[in-house]
Amino acid sequence: MPKLKPQTRFLMRGSALLVGLLSLWWFLLLSPMLYMLKGAAGVFLPIQENASGDWTLRVPLERTLPATPQQPVAQQIHSIDFDMPRGDATAFTFSLPVYWAIILAAPGVRRNLRPLLVGTAVMAAVELAMLLVFAEISARNTAAQLAGGGGDVVAGWARLLGGYLLATVLPYATPFVVALSLHRGLREEIFPWSNVAEAPAPPPPVDRAQRRRAKKRRP
Amino acid sequence: MLIGFGVLITPQVQSVDGKFSRALVSVSQGLIRMCGGHVARDGAILRAPGGFAVEMRDGCNAVNVTILLCAAILAFPASWRMKAAGLLAGIAIIQVVNIIRFITLFYLGQYSTTWFDFAHAYLWESLIMLDTMVVFWYWVTRVLRAGAAPHAEA
Repeated sequence: MPKLKPQTRFLMRGSALLVGLLSLWWFLLLSPMLYMLKGAAGVFLPIQENASGDWTLRVPLERTLPATPQQPVAQQIHSIDFDMPRGDATAFTFSLPVYWAIILAAPGVRRNLRPLLVGTAVMAAVELAMLLVFAEISARNTAAQLAGGGGDVVAGWARLLGGYLLATVLPYATPFVVALSLHRGLREEIFPWSNVAEAPAPPPPVDRAQRRRAKKRRP
Repeated sequence: MLIGFGVLITPQVQSVDGKFSRALVSVSQGLIRMCGGHVARDGAILRAPGGFAVEMRDGCNAVNVTILLCAAILAFPASWRMKAAGLLAGIAIIQVVNIIRFITLFYLGQYSTTWFDFAHAYLWESLIMLDTMVVFWYWVTRVLRAGAAPHAEA
């Protein structure tokens, strides 16, 4: 059987591991992970879980809503509540099994343990941060709508871009970036020159006279 | 990368993005019919005779991973010729994988909506990201073999 290229091996192992670990996550780990995420995010924001499993988040936000024909007096708000369907919250737990699949598919099983443990902690922190940023952006979007929808065009575009990245790009791309950052073996496979800076320095050059003397001393 | 995604969400590019999605759905329909399957198309929606329908929306047309690949290739120090070859081949591979993804989701959805949700939102997205990474890895290897890559001594 011909030897497979490292890229093909990685693709095959990674695909199989993604199917296995994402299935494990979907059927077994999702509920405990959502519970832990809710607990961790609850340190920063009050979160309530409805009977249907959806979350209600309360984001502190100081805003003065201008007077409108429907609301003739300006209104001060201190926080914004919004609902997050369980499916949306799920997206903030799924990067972890993807990260595990990449690390376990990487070459060198012995070298995988440390990045697996460190990366799990990093990914958990990143997922929490993504959820909090998503909540902040959603609250600001709601505040902008309550204020009449006008306002700063650049800020609106930045919120749209942030929401798009958090929903459709970062949960999928972050595990790969973190894996490349933490797994030296994988990094060296893809960028072979990256190990030169970390490799030990070569021994100093030996001149001819020294070599001759060393030869004479040998029996 | 930020420029790519920033441009992607503008209304003008979103309309082009929609046309691209419809073109991909049309290709998928053609492939299904070529293999003897029965399917109808309505814009960016594929309909099965049993009533199940699947729509290719923004984010389902693999433009987001294409932007990531383009950003990685363009940021990598290689010749413009190598970059152009990498972009063309990479985008083609990603789009072929995405059409396979769309067709499998179309059939999976007729079988089970639970499995469809799982495969659509999580499994296939991760597999396409993995493919993108491997495509980039292949390209870097070719660049290194061609001697157009940077090395530590440089």
